[in-house]
Amino acid sequence: MRLIWFASQIALFGLIASRMINVQEVPDYFRYYVAGLSVMTLYSAAIFIGFDIYEEAEHGVFEYLLSLPVSRRQLVLGRSIGGGLRAFIYVGPMIGISLYVIGAVNPLGFLVALFALFLFSFGVSGMSITIAVIIKSSDRFDILMGVLDALIVRLSTAMYPLAFVQAANPVYGGVASLNPVTFAADLFRWGTDIITLDNPLLPLLGVIIFFSVFTFVGIVIYDKRIEGGGWQ
Amino acid sequence: MPPIIKIDNLTKKFGNIMAVDHLTLEIEEGEILGLLGPNGAGKTTTILMLATVIRPTEGTATVGAYDIRKNPDKVRGLLGIVFQEPKMLWVSTPWDIVNWHAKVCGLSTEERKRRVKEVLEALDMWEHRRKNVHALSGGMRKRVELAKVLIQRPKIVIVDEPTAQIDVVGKHRIWNMLRQLREEGTTIILATNELYEADVLSDRVAIMHKGKLLVLDIPKKLKDNIPGGDVVDIQLEKETPQKIVEQLKKFKEVVNVLQVKPSNIRVYLNQVEEVVPRIMNLFMKENMPIASIHISEPSLDDVFAHYTGLTIEEAQKGGE
Repeated sequence: MRLIWFASQIALFGLIASRMINVQEVPDYFRYYVAGLSVMTLYSAAIFIGFDIYEEAEHGVFEYLLSLPVSRRQLVLGRSIGGGLRAFIYVGPMIGISLYVIGAVNPLGFLVALFALFLFSFGVSGMSITIAVIIKSSDRFDILMGVLDALIVRLSTAMYPLAFVQAANPVYGGVASLNPVTFAADLFRWGTDIITLDNPLLPLLGVIIFFSVFTFVGIVIYDKRIEGGGWQ
Repeated sequence: MPPIIKIDNLTKKFGNIMAVDHLTLEIEEGEILGLLGPNGAGKTTTILMLATVIRPTEGTATVGAYDIRKNPDKVRGLLGIVFQEPKMLWVSTPWDIVNWHAKVCGLSTEERKRRVKEVLEALDMWEHRRKNVHALSGGMRKRVELAKVLIQRPKIVIVDEPTAQIDVVGKHRIWNMLRQLREEGTTIILATNELYEADVLSDRVAIMHKGKLLVLDIPKKLKDNIPGGDVVDIQLEKETPQKIVEQLKKFKEVVNVLQVKPSNIRVYLNQVEEVVPRIMNLFMKENMPIASIHISEPSLDDVFAHYTGLTIEEAQKGGE
């Protein structure tokens, strides 16, 4: 179903919207949109791990996981990477469609972009786990994730270039320039030759920081909130 | 030999609820300790604290040489838990569950393949290895849980309600597995609300109620400590003379003697196995032939009732 949704977005919204947009900054909005859509879908899939946390708590799987002879660090890292990897596998066919639609790629740039998407996916998983264990209510988590999705995706370059966000409101521009979705979308577009970047290391560094912070914060919060018995 | 587990003042509060209330006890290496009590007694919270799954509010415990607060990772390396049900969401067959557990416990691919097969075969689960766990019987699911600790081979195994909702044959099978684990040197903590199970399996029984440890001893002593807990019904071939009743009352183990019918007396006493031969001798000496004799020992339910004033079912209703 997700694949049909994705294909519809490309074949309907992407094709139609690209006919309306004809600006210097985005010579081919269709390719620009398809790349951004891939990152948005990856973000949505990686967020899903948070819902698993509630399901695990409900079924007592938490107790089993916490009793395993592994450190908490290994456990959280495993969950973040597992959630990120699952999202990546899940979105893999859609990224494949995107690549087909976008066309030729620079292999080296694409590998860097792919690596960044991996880290982005793990980071989003870590963020989702962190928020889930803080909130402790699946309903509230669901609502917050909806709000966060709206803000994070819309205040990024997933659907439009930074210059337009900046022009709309400097605060929006400030947020978008530090947004991990922006880093991931820019790197993916750079890796697929849709845009050029003055320094691709900056968004790459941004994605690495995002991944590291949420993995580390995830470990600390998981330990404090879960091991203390706070989920009971 | 120092105890393998030393629980010192262990306490857990959930809000205003005192789940475990200053629990102190020691567990010897290689024993089966039955943790007996109704639902809500604090058994599961205690074992989850020992397994470092939840942190105590107060007090601590040492498992092996490690403090559960200071060295939780080391403690988890010594323990394995058999939960009431296999707790997995993302894998669904016995093989997947046991293999995943073995992987997390650090077994190499080759060793894992061999051991998973060995363990599932030993538990008669090999031919069911590809079935969905939800399609298995309660006994089979429990065996999948047991397979995890058989793969892991920890020094200490914690078993939570091992035979809840399992048929009699399945119960005996699981009890035999637990006995075998103990014979191989594993220390076992058996959390149960089944009195008979605690009685037949445990070397010692700790009875918990409302988060507190009421009593801890070997089952026989616990039962013997109930004044007049053993009951002997004696049917005589002729009427019982009052003289015999008076003589029976003089035994220090006898708490009371009731004349139920002219030829039938009921004796309430302790240490029945030592006293009955003496009672028989007395009747033979007085030339009073016995038609039948029926002995009933107290159960752990009687022990529980003795300490709480409630049967375990009544306490269960209050605990839920």
